[in-house]
Amino acid sequence: MKQTLLGALGIALFLALWEVVGRTQILGISWPPLSDVLAELTDERRRPLFLRALGATLESTALGYLWGTGAGLILATVAHLLPALRRGSDRLAAVLNSVPSIALGPIFLVLLTRESTPAAVSSIHVFFIVFVSVSSGLQRATPAHRDLFAVLGADRIKRFGRLELPAALPSLVSGLRLAWPAALIGAIIGEWFGAPRGIGILIINAMQNFQIVLLWCAVLLAVGASLFFYGLLTLLERAAYARFG
Amino acid sequence: MNVAIAIDKVSKRFPLPGDKEGVLALAELSLTIAPGEFVAILGPSGCGKSTLLRLVASLEQPTGGTVTVNGAAPGLVSAQHALGVAFQDHALLPWLSVHDNIALPFRLAGRRIDEPAIARLLELVGLASFEKARPKQLSGGMRQRASIARALVLEPEVLLLDEPFGALDAVTRRQMNVELQRIWSARQITTMLITHSVDEALFLADRVVVMSGRPGRILREVQVPFARPRDPWVMRSEAFHRLVDDLTAALEA
Repeated sequence: MKQTLLGALGIALFLALWEVVGRTQILGISWPPLSDVLAELTDERRRPLFLRALGATLESTALGYLWGTGAGLILATVAHLLPALRRGSDRLAAVLNSVPSIALGPIFLVLLTRESTPAAVSSIHVFFIVFVSVSSGLQRATPAHRDLFAVLGADRIKRFGRLELPAALPSLVSGLRLAWPAALIGAIIGEWFGAPRGIGILIINAMQNFQIVLLWCAVLLAVGASLFFYGLLTLLERAAYARFG
Repeated sequence: MNVAIAIDKVSKRFPLPGDKEGVLALAELSLTIAPGEFVAILGPSGCGKSTLLRLVASLEQPTGGTVTVNGAAPGLVSAQHALGVAFQDHALLPWLSVHDNIALPFRLAGRRIDEPAIARLLELVGLASFEKARPKQLSGGMRQRASIARALVLEPEVLLLDEPFGALDAVTRRQMNVELQRIWSARQITTMLITHSVDEALFLADRVVVMSGRPGRILREVQVPFARPRDPWVMRSEAFHRLVDDLTAALEA
């Protein structure tokens, strides 16, 4: 309770400071007051633009999130069940993760369409996080549980389904929570390679036309979309730890 | 002679990094357990008694000698789901209820879940009203009772108990011993109990085997003379105390 109160106080202080800095222009004209940004954000005439951009980015993020989660889950599971593939798959994931997404963009642009590049970059981000969390989660079953399953004569499939997979669930859900902001960043970066619309495009356009207030609106939209789903996934994570942890 | 568990000149060496010799945990140890016999293995910690149980459970392979359970290799017996086991760590799955934990051996064996059998066992171990609870919600003694019910649910040919009450306080431990004695007397399964408590060994077993420290060898074997079912009062008899003194002396030798 005390922590929540302190947290709320901290946020209020930060927002007040933002307003003061914007009003007094201490940090120059690129730091507008919060009230101007909020006025722009809630402006009726701007609403279709914001909704279109947010819709496009959320669609790419959701697609990338689903593809990345699916690929990470499948590859981690296959590598776990076929130990011969384990080292190779670890290395593939590490290599994919070490390539900056800015460098991947042009490749996707060649291989895919402008519209699907955001989802593709997003899925790469998600893939790595989910792969790592599932791989480590599948190792989380305790030695005592493994001994028990061995003595009771459980085969490989039953051990996976009834021990390793449930034991991996909290770790998977933690990965899903961390993957959401990464998916959103991936989609926004992907949009910079010529997507027709999206928050990334809004950011680029506002920047190039020196529409500072609009630029901050785009940032707030991205932060809002990130925090909202991050919050939902945190609730899911708590439930998973209470049940399977 | 009829034999359920045959341990014949078994040695077990654990390799150590940078040391070819490694640690010799067991040295040419031989022991036979008859069908329906309850044998307690007593020894100081680190004497290889748990290793002995792990060999019978097919969790380890011997370096030398052979282990058979009802004439077959332990690996085959566990694949036929004919072993029951309870460890010091209760090893209940935290995401399953008490009922589902006890039903787990049926699922792992691919057999139909025998609900009346589970209900009888829940009753026997005194957890009938806790069948929907999760392990987290139970006390340490209740978790061990659930784990013993799980070990018994498939009516195994052999029951392996590795210090199942080792983590409990003295009072709960004594209660659990009394209960296990009652449960075991109802269905006499070939049982191997690993323990370092002399009282526990004498109260529960038909025969007590004392092991020496590294490498593990058998120092003494004692037939326990008390008739079954055993009343807890047995533990206050003079004969019981004499045997406790006798075995404690052997342990300290």
